[in-house]
Amino acid sequence: MSVAALNVKDLSVWFETESGRLQIVDNISFSIKAGETTGLVGESGCGKTMTAFAILGLLRASGARVESAAIEIGGRDISTLSAGQRRRVLGRDIAMVFQQPGAALDPVFTIGRQIAAVHRRHVGDGRSNTRRAMLDSLEQVGFGKPEKIAAAYPHELSGGMAQLAMIAMATVCKPAVLIADEPSTALDSGTRAVILQQIKRLQADHGTAILLISHDLSVIRQSCQNVMVMYCGRLLEVTDCQSLFSSPRHPYSAGLISCIPQISAVKPSGIITIPGRVPAPSALPPGCHFAPRCDRALSACVQSIPALETGNQRSNNSGVACFSPL
Amino acid sequence: MILTTWQRLKADRYGMGGLLIVSLFAVVAICVWIGLLGQSWSEVSGNRWESFSAAHWFGTNLLGQDILQRTLFGAATAFEVGLIVTTFSIVLGTVLGALAGWYSHGWLDETILWLKGVLDSIPFYLFAAAIAYALQGNRWAMHLAMIITFWTTTARIVRGEVMRIKQREFIEAARAIGLPGITIVFRHVLPNTMHVLLVQATIVFVVAIKTEVILSFLGLGMQDGVSWGLMLAESSQEVVAGHFGNFTAASVSLFILLMGFNLLSDALQDALDPRRVIT
Repeated sequence: MSVAALNVKDLSVWFETESGRLQIVDNISFSIKAGETTGLVGESGCGKTMTAFAILGLLRASGARVESAAIEIGGRDISTLSAGQRRRVLGRDIAMVFQQPGAALDPVFTIGRQIAAVHRRHVGDGRSNTRRAMLDSLEQVGFGKPEKIAAAYPHELSGGMAQLAMIAMATVCKPAVLIADEPSTALDSGTRAVILQQIKRLQADHGTAILLISHDLSVIRQSCQNVMVMYCGRLLEVTDCQSLFSSPRHPYSAGLISCIPQISAVKPSGIITIPGRVPAPSALPPGCHFAPRCDRALSACVQSIPALETGNQRSNNSGVACFSPL
Repeated sequence: MILTTWQRLKADRYGMGGLLIVSLFAVVAICVWIGLLGQSWSEVSGNRWESFSAAHWFGTNLLGQDILQRTLFGAATAFEVGLIVTTFSIVLGTVLGALAGWYSHGWLDETILWLKGVLDSIPFYLFAAAIAYALQGNRWAMHLAMIITFWTTTARIVRGEVMRIKQREFIEAARAIGLPGITIVFRHVLPNTMHVLLVQATIVFVVAIKTEVILSFLGLGMQDGVSWGLMLAESSQEVVAGHFGNFTAASVSLFILLMGFNLLSDALQDALDPRRVIT
């Protein structure tokens, strides 16, 4: 069996507050193989972005506590690295694309300069090589005239172009792992398709493992092989994309899928919603966090936490954390 | 950024007027420094209180010195004080303000804020007098007093800007590509405060020139040489006797230069604002 490109073991993120421990991410484990895209889906505030930041080790300054058994990139544990060693990994072996297209680019420097700076820092093989790598990466994300984009300032680009430039910046060093945090959420649907298509192409070319974070199931459906459903910091269901949409096993996954508005619906019966709302991290219900909103809840659901059982009959990589799965 | 700023500035008539005035004075100052103008500022070349004439355009003072020569030399003094005080106080204020803002609410921030609070609470002219006394009339005492007290405003502004900018996503993105904190401050945070700093620099320049005039008037300023402040101090005896040469030359020069600077500073503020679109 090949080594997973990204392997996260027992990752937890929490805040210590005066009123107790605020659990943001609760003991999650997953792995992504090279060339595969795994979607991380869940409602706003369920801990998706915190998971991404924790993997990159960007939470130290925020006061959050992070604990993990291991965070491995290509078999190398980066969670135990010193700050200096970690900085050499960030941007070279693992990179991130942020949600707001314009905001992640420094407004006072040209696109080309910013992309070149990443390459120079991590590869640093001379000015002309750096420039070529910079133009290559812009061309790879689909810009016909990379020189023109390289000379532009972030405010001169549209949202979609800025996001493509951001992806070019994240991939200039050809990282093994790319974390894309809602890369297309702020964009219109046409631009979104372009972004997702470019991410797929990059993946095909370099065999990048991608963690695609989104609350938009249609984005997940278009671009992922595997999906993880997150709720209140826990993974409720891990499965391949096809089976999630054809036969979701966790009631929450099923609820999310039924919430996708259907244009083709013959008789509009109003928008389906999951009853109740996401509990605050300070008031998480005991047992399964979804139990109060679940119509299949058993008495066991409020008493103990269902474990995410992987390796069941359907495929060896899927699992569901539920006492009464569908 | 520099190019668009220049284009915007060019479109601003008042700003260009300001720039012209400041450049003229700057040329005068440079000519004085390289020895082309104002060299006979201390020479007694006429009688006491001569009126303006072809030989003495602005007339002469109590001692019969040429007021034009002294005014030109005063421009150089103003620029010398302005440049030195601005450079040092802006650099000091930027570095301390950036550190305070980046490590906000940490011990370093608290220390810098405490220092700033202490310096801000001392009456300035008393402080200038104390430093002049402590340094035994050293000619740099005035500059030092201004640098020590003027950085606090810049530091306060930069601290606020840094605290605002460090919340932005591109700072998180800079971390995500593996940049260490201090590199992020100097490469990504401070360049984004450039527009504020440039405007602040012109303001400090103006305040430094004004303060030099007041300090010189009080006898705490220029030691060797002449400044518009010293000319005004001299004129305090002349005005009562009905001679306005020194007074007019010094105060009109001061007024024109400061107005030029203020026009330029206003225009720069607009031109450097990235949210404005060129019309």
